[in-house]
Amino acid sequence: MAATYATAGTGRPTHVARGGGMSDRAFAWALIAPAMAIILVFALVPLGYAVMVSFRMADLTRGGLREFVGLDNYRTVLFDQSFWESIAVTLKFTVAAVGLEMILGIAIAFLLHGATHGKTIVRSILILPLATAPAVTGLFWRNLYDPQFGVINWLLGSLGLPEPNWLGDIDIALWSVVLFDVWQWTPFVALIALAGLSSLPREPFEAAELDGASTWRVLRVLTFPMLAPVLFLVLILRTIDSLRLYDAVAVLTRGGPGTVTETMTFYLFRTGLKLFRMDYASTMAIFFLYALLVASVFALRPLLRQFTERAQAQN
Amino acid sequence: MIRSALLGGVAAACLATPALACEDADRVPLTWSTIAGFYTDAMADLVAGFEATHCAKVNIVNIDNSQLYNKQVIEMVGATGAYDIVTLETSEKADFAENGFILPMTDYLADKQELVDDVAPVLATMTTRYNGDIWGLPYYTYTAGIIYRADLFEDAGEKEAFKAKYGYDLAVPTDWKQHRDIAEFFTRKAGETLKGETLTKDFYGVGLMAGPFPEIQDELSGPIWGAGADWLDDEGNVQTEAVEKALTDYIELLKFAPPAALTVTYDGVMNQMKDGQIAMTHGFFLDQWPNAVTTEESVPGAKMGVAEAPGKKAYIGGFLLAVAESSAHPEEAMDFVAYIGGPEAQKKFAAAGGTTTLTSVLNDPELTKPENRAKTGHFGTLLQIFQSMDGFQSNLFNTPYGAKIYNTMQIPLQAAAAGQITPAEAATRLTDEVAKICGGPCPIAKDGD
Repeated sequence: MAATYATAGTGRPTHVARGGGMSDRAFAWALIAPAMAIILVFALVPLGYAVMVSFRMADLTRGGLREFVGLDNYRTVLFDQSFWESIAVTLKFTVAAVGLEMILGIAIAFLLHGATHGKTIVRSILILPLATAPAVTGLFWRNLYDPQFGVINWLLGSLGLPEPNWLGDIDIALWSVVLFDVWQWTPFVALIALAGLSSLPREPFEAAELDGASTWRVLRVLTFPMLAPVLFLVLILRTIDSLRLYDAVAVLTRGGPGTVTETMTFYLFRTGLKLFRMDYASTMAIFFLYALLVASVFALRPLLRQFTERAQAQN
Repeated sequence: MIRSALLGGVAAACLATPALACEDADRVPLTWSTIAGFYTDAMADLVAGFEATHCAKVNIVNIDNSQLYNKQVIEMVGATGAYDIVTLETSEKADFAENGFILPMTDYLADKQELVDDVAPVLATMTTRYNGDIWGLPYYTYTAGIIYRADLFEDAGEKEAFKAKYGYDLAVPTDWKQHRDIAEFFTRKAGETLKGETLTKDFYGVGLMAGPFPEIQDELSGPIWGAGADWLDDEGNVQTEAVEKALTDYIELLKFAPPAALTVTYDGVMNQMKDGQIAMTHGFFLDQWPNAVTTEESVPGAKMGVAEAPGKKAYIGGFLLAVAESSAHPEEAMDFVAYIGGPEAQKKFAAAGGTTTLTSVLNDPELTKPENRAKTGHFGTLLQIFQSMDGFQSNLFNTPYGAKIYNTMQIPLQAAAAGQITPAEAATRLTDEVAKICGGPCPIAKDGD
């Protein structure tokens, strides 16, 4: 198994020969095999099982997995008003939360990038919301939002301002969840964007400065295009994460008032683990996964292309 | 003859004193899944009492109330044997019994008729009986009545003002119309007076559990049952009109409740009471009496009272202890159920502030002495409620789909309370959801008792 490496003209290590006659390809497969096995056992097998369940009658409290029902479950889910309402809630939440997080996160990153003092302290503080479990922060925010005993309404009341029912008003509840999510995840966007900004090469900016380019022009022509892959990746990660929103809803609102904050994953949980209709829950999960996969493929394609081009250019 | 008698006496003595001296290794392991927070500490003491008289070791698994049902179902479906004794809400009994998740205890309890008869009949019917069998014993009841600020009801100025406005005497409400009037009457803005004193903050007539929790349907059960209706008729369909009417009245009542009503459950209402924000509850869990009575310390001049719910109908709730079908030690598990549900443990439980299910303990003069009012002041009212509701049954608790319905009905009901949909839409949506859950009309066991 001992491998011998030589340095090519590019300075990068290149495989030349391997004891036992294992090819590069075989060696690469051997390296990723454990990870693939884990993915297969813990992700693909359950996924395959969920697909199988989605084509059968499966009520856990009525005999478990039963007869094959073809596409009946898909038909039921497609005509389920609550399912579509939960999708609408999920999309509304995702657009609002991720949009705000991106704007605020990038703004904070620029502010920190230009700061000369206190950068380290602010960066450490920014990690705090990320480092705390959503269930814990959710409870904390639930107390903050409490219309009778919460700090927010106490402050508003002290200033003679209206005291909203943050989690009980059908017009406000979803935005309260958005606000919580923005508080928790904006630092993530900010820190990644800050890392991206810090890693940009200086030369183009110095050249632009010598040419007398305006700040806006530098941002438009240099900074954002060079930062785009990083921001795009953050956008994708945050979008996927927001579409899966569960913890915040479970702790803050339990999907209420009524169903105004019932996201798809919460509805899926309710169907699967309160009604024990694993057939419907699996079908919804398959829908959800399919939609996410299609969206991810389209969204990630430009990014993957860019990475591939860079890799080829470096070779 | 003498030898036989002596041997018999020794054997009887041994039977009367169950295995006290047993090695730890010999102890039968039993696992009890129960609700975190509901006097679990007191329960731990009771378990110690059981272990002292039985060669068993009981492991208590505390589970959050919102997760208890699904966790237990998953273990039962998998027949994992993880839990020997399970804790079930009233609506879950038929579900577990019908699915064979729990074992009937009818035969086991056959020679313990005195104990079976000691459970208040209506509580026994609602929480333990299904399809002609007894499925365990309740160890805790959260049967509903109303808890109110007696000092407000007894204040001469308030009484006079009430009579002038409504034309009848201010007293504990005996119907829902009076309850609504009283809620309206006591709802005041900051700056107005209450008992002759100027209010520094808004005061409300009633505390409601209208948050996204099942308690909203527990509150609504009272008016629905009081009107002679039920959630499900005998054919297993939702009584849509009755639900719509009760919900409409309930939403009307929300005007007289703190805005937080739409986010809270029982603990929120208790906080409102102890904070001096509300005059009374709706149909409310009387097991909270020991908590509610602390209002007398937190609110100057407050004096608490407890009474039957208007219309003498309210939610009959109890935690049933039942033995899992997958238990490896069903006999010992049944012994445990009989011990915890029996008079010795129940008396200790009541002394610790728990709300007992046994009429003998509810009537115990030692426990109900005036000096024990803070812990047992609601016992007399509970006995009245059990008497008033004697013979009552709800189809919701006699359908094997009861648990699923119970876990679903809060959504349309709360949506209407929050103004997302109308009461009529909520009733229709509930009807559709229930039909979907049951696959048509819900099967109702006719011999529930």
